[in-house]
Amino acid sequence: MISIRAKNQIDVWIAKYPKDRQSSAVMQALKIVQAENENILSASTIQEVADYLDMPGIAVQEVATFYENYNYKKVGKYVIRFCHNISCMLNGADDLIKHLENKLGVKTGEVTLDGLISVKKVECLGACVGAPMFQINEKYFENLTIDKIDKIVDNLK
Amino acid sequence: MNEVCFKNLTKDQCWSLKTYEDSGGYSVWRKILKGKFTSEQVIDELKLSGLRGRGGAGFPTGLKWSFMPRHSDGQKYVVCNSDEGEPGTCKDRDILRFNPHAVIEGMAIGGFVMNASVGYNYIRGEFMEPFKRFEGALEEAYKAGLLGQNINNSSINFDLYTHLGAGAYICGEETALLESIEGKKGQPRFKPPFPANVGLFGKPTTINNTESFASVPEILRCGGQWFADIGVENSGGCKLFSVSGHVTNPANFEVPMGISFKDLLEMAGGMRDGAKLKAVIPGGSSTPVLTAEIVMNMTMDYDGIEKAGSMLGAGSVIIMNESTCMVEVLTRLAHFYYDESCGQCTPCREGTGWLYRVLKRITDGNGRKGDIDLLLSVQNKIMGNTICALGDAAAMPVESFLRNFREEFEYYIKHRKSMVKG
Amino acid sequence: MTDIEIDINGNIVTAKAGEMLIVVTDRENISVPRFCYHKKLSVVSSCRICLVDVEGAIKPQPACSTPVVQGMKVQTQNVKTKNSQKSVMEFLLINHPLDCPICDQGGECELQDLAVEYGSDVSSFSEGKRIVTDSDIGVLIQTDMTRCIHCTRCVRFGVEIAGIMEMGGTGRGENLKIEPFLEQGIQSELSGNMIDICPVGALTSKPFKYELRSWQMNSISSIARHDLVGSNLFVQSYKGKVKRVVSADNDLVNEIWISDRDRFSYESLTHENRLLKPQIKVQGRWNQVSWEVALDYAIKGLNSHILKHQKADQLGGLVSNTATMEEFYLFKKILTEIGCDNIDYRLNVKNLDNTILLDSNIKLDALEKIDYALIIGTNIRLEQPMINHRLRKATKKGADIDVLNVMVFDFNYSLHTENIIAPNKIAFILAGVLKSIMINDGQELPDYLIAIDVDEIAKNIAYKMLNSDSSVIILGEHIINNVDASTIANLVAKIAKSANSRTLNLSITGNTIAANLVGCVPQNSGMNVNTMLASDMRGFILLDIYPQYNFHHLGAAIKAFEKDDTFVISLNSFKDDIVVGYSDVILPIASIYETSGTHLNINNDMQSYTAAVKAPNEVKPAWKVLKVMADLLELPGFNYEDSTQVLAEISYQSHVIHNHDIKDNLTSYHNGISVIWQNSPYSIDAVLRHSETLQETKIGQMNNAYMNQTSAKTLKVSVGDKYLGVLVIITDTVADDCVFINANQTTNIYGQV
Repeated sequence: MISIRAKNQIDVWIAKYPKDRQSSAVMQALKIVQAENENILSASTIQEVADYLDMPGIAVQEVATFYENYNYKKVGKYVIRFCHNISCMLNGADDLIKHLENKLGVKTGEVTLDGLISVKKVECLGACVGAPMFQINEKYFENLTIDKIDKIVDNLK
Repeated sequence: MNEVCFKNLTKDQCWSLKTYEDSGGYSVWRKILKGKFTSEQVIDELKLSGLRGRGGAGFPTGLKWSFMPRHSDGQKYVVCNSDEGEPGTCKDRDILRFNPHAVIEGMAIGGFVMNASVGYNYIRGEFMEPFKRFEGALEEAYKAGLLGQNINNSSINFDLYTHLGAGAYICGEETALLESIEGKKGQPRFKPPFPANVGLFGKPTTINNTESFASVPEILRCGGQWFADIGVENSGGCKLFSVSGHVTNPANFEVPMGISFKDLLEMAGGMRDGAKLKAVIPGGSSTPVLTAEIVMNMTMDYDGIEKAGSMLGAGSVIIMNESTCMVEVLTRLAHFYYDESCGQCTPCREGTGWLYRVLKRITDGNGRKGDIDLLLSVQNKIMGNTICALGDAAAMPVESFLRNFREEFEYYIKHRKSMVKG
Repeated sequence: MTDIEIDINGNIVTAKAGEMLIVVTDRENISVPRFCYHKKLSVVSSCRICLVDVEGAIKPQPACSTPVVQGMKVQTQNVKTKNSQKSVMEFLLINHPLDCPICDQGGECELQDLAVEYGSDVSSFSEGKRIVTDSDIGVLIQTDMTRCIHCTRCVRFGVEIAGIMEMGGTGRGENLKIEPFLEQGIQSELSGNMIDICPVGALTSKPFKYELRSWQMNSISSIARHDLVGSNLFVQSYKGKVKRVVSADNDLVNEIWISDRDRFSYESLTHENRLLKPQIKVQGRWNQVSWEVALDYAIKGLNSHILKHQKADQLGGLVSNTATMEEFYLFKKILTEIGCDNIDYRLNVKNLDNTILLDSNIKLDALEKIDYALIIGTNIRLEQPMINHRLRKATKKGADIDVLNVMVFDFNYSLHTENIIAPNKIAFILAGVLKSIMINDGQELPDYLIAIDVDEIAKNIAYKMLNSDSSVIILGEHIINNVDASTIANLVAKIAKSANSRTLNLSITGNTIAANLVGCVPQNSGMNVNTMLASDMRGFILLDIYPQYNFHHLGAAIKAFEKDDTFVISLNSFKDDIVVGYSDVILPIASIYETSGTHLNINNDMQSYTAAVKAPNEVKPAWKVLKVMADLLELPGFNYEDSTQVLAEISYQSHVIHNHDIKDNLTSYHNGISVIWQNSPYSIDAVLRHSETLQETKIGQMNNAYMNQTSAKTLKVSVGDKYLGVLVIITDTVADDCVFINANQTTNIYGQV
């Protein structure tokens, strides 16, 4: 069930689009619903979004599998999205990713045992002049070094 | 330097309405609301300014705006493309963070000129800080009575909304972006029809890049000629260059068009640790790579970079020093296009994966004789055969990397290791 | 659009400005390959195989999405074109499995055909091929998505034609996968068309899986029999067995689509319950015998029970409305020749003094051009899927549709209004519509309308009728046994006349139009079916009748047939216990596709077909059996060698002009709960009831008695109970005073009535 709170949030987005164009809000609706369900989308939540927006289930499924920001398997409370594209790569991102993996004892795509952190390698996040960088949930962290990463990660609770 | 989009960069709370208005912000919009600036004047000034689309294609903005059937009845839209994601590009993020009101004013002016009463700013899903900054600015602008219905009794209406992406590079392609706003997969549309005729929700729509919109108010305030004079022939004004990679001080620089590459590199503090320059991608990952010898005599404008054999693109200058293994860089770029292909049309869906797999095989030490010819042949089969430019964007780096650094690829295949890294 | 001239391969051709290049090349028979392009679907331009060289364009242009302009010069065969097309072919083939030898599409695969022309013998692709896991999308369609080339025709078919998006493209890039949501399977009543339009072997017919190659089969053009459209199709057979049915192109009838029931009903032909040998009942025991013995027994029986006693007026001839026009004719001719006027096909009508007499005067292709339709009493999407498809197209062009139904049904387009009306009130709403229109036109009101109350529903419909340029009123099957059936039909005719509208009578089923044309109804002072069932009859000849599905007065029918000294000759295609129970002779007759004949569709198109296969075993076409019976009865004028001679002899009655006088005074509603008994869409005839795969679908499983809470209370039933043998569902989507039943082939109400 989509909570009242989530519905209110979705309604804010629906209001931005012309009448009968509520499906424009589907990307945000999925994010909102995902956030309420341990950051995971399931077939049933997708169906609920479809029903709420009066869309065919498969049309929502198409969106939910096309964009990268949706999760289908367990992720950590903190998702570290490490950019490995060119500018970050040139600035040593690959080594830093290895360091992070070793530090957390997980590979990219995995979640720490305590469920706190998961690491994901992602494509360019549009902060190339701050390379190397990663994003933790909504926030960007730039000009990363091993020390900086250690400090940031150690503060995650 | 920093005369247009970054004009207030160093000021306190540079993103606030107050800072913006103190430096002349919204003066053009207010003139329009008072009926003292006509659509025709706007278009004439923009044409005079030589402003070209800052998203990468470089299409003259004034001309683009004049294409809209602005006198026809019915809803029309202006859309801002803030779906920044081309590797090497990070200027729009800073515009949204540090000068959101310029984007709002530019879009409002565009809406007025093209008779579009609604605008959407499509911000990529990861840009939560810029999104919040922009939403804050929108709230300020509404509160100040600068947006909405019958603004200041001018009978001008303009409502502006943000649409947030969810992680897909392809949505930076303008028609994919429209599909995405409509709540669909970001798959580019074929053209014609062009968005100016059939765009968002099937209505006439003009889409411009964030930097293009943000440049408009200052151009109109100071005059098209003023802007044109900043730059060089065919490349009016100044432009943001994102300089990243192996430089001492990577950053965004708003500099006059036509500045020499040498000077730009200097601004970024030169090569980090005094390393030797090896290669430059001058306009974002899709543009052909250039060698150090060529770039040293290159000027940073549309014609200058084209003369050097590449494209200005979005002004994303990626600097590589001599320790860079070009095979590995190309492999990473190939992975990017493989990962970001929308899958709609055959050559891109099938070809980007093929390119990546061959390159991956080479960097894994399993390259084969004939792989270089294979790569060239595959990229050639993608080139020009796809619906949108992503196919070409995936193909072009392969061609230019192999043309300029073929011996590194040959070495990697033969010796099963990098020529540079050993 | 103005006429322009363009140059294709050096030849000047005329075209309309703005039409797509591929439309021009198709018209000119210039070959341009395509996978995603389909003339009945929207253009997506994604497969890129139709790239051609257009002078002045640097890049090759897709013919499917390039509008032609005056003076355009196109090369469809030059090196640039061929290189682009070869490139695309190579990309399509790198991830396509090389399993043509075991692929059901082999031999009719658009990719295979092009690969022969364009493909290279040697692939430079040496990476692993993509494997795609399959989802089970139902019993009708087999998937092998590793073969999918992502043309999205099936996805667009769902959105644009079927009206429900069932298939979609999930994931992105090379992980793009065409699949339904949640493996819930495909539900559309038109789903099988996805098989026809899939250019490769990704979607194939599940019942046909691993059967045969297309080139091994004999393909005979034929006509579908399960609705009023008579969709054109090809029946494909191998060694005398029908193996597959695919659609044929006829824009005036079915375009290129056929419904699932028309596509898959052929399976019944090999059902284990087929009657394969004649049999006779001698002293209460059944014996399988030769045709000679059986016919001799039948004729002797007729003689001894009836003819010998000059009691032809105590013989009844009843025929199912599924017969061919030729069969109707011969059936009537035999009975007439032996002096029997008791003949009827209207087996499911409760009261033959209260029938629907209404013409259809709009053609199928005109239906998609209407701007307004009033639909009365039909679940049109499932009962007449191809007609519904035309209406759907009309709504896409902006037509409004109002509905007067007894319960909420699933429409695949949006309705202007959906009015759920008790069966006994429908006539009053229509009277209100007529009154409103007449008042608007300043006409003098007839007596029966004076006291009629014009409510909002009637006002709204009248307004729409009056403001429409091209409207139609559609009357459906649920009205057949309405207490006001005849009044409703007459009101519809009058409204249509007053509002310059047209009518479409969908209350008929099967080949009823042919039965009417031939006059398969009581002759002179002969008895109708209901009178026959209530009379003391000495014998019956029954053509293709299964009482528990055919008769409204089921109990009376079985009683009449079972009577001790009543001699019953049954001609059937399938074994049936009830038929065995009352018959004296059972003659096995050919089923669909096994006999030649003629069906008339709602357009009045007379569509004749030949047999696609020979009937199995000793089974004979009914028209031949009737002819031999006539010969044995020594009746004159039955010297036919084939059914076309029968057809040639049929002289059509001149068109009857119905008198639409309203007899009722419409002063008060008829009281009581009306039961609307509908055989489920996949159980409307014996062929469908024996089509096993169709029965497994969701539509095939429909078997419920729907009523609202009030009716349930009145009838003293609750959820889980059975009403007339059918499971009760209580829902407020049903009107008051109404039980709506959808009964499938499993429903045995014998003994319930």
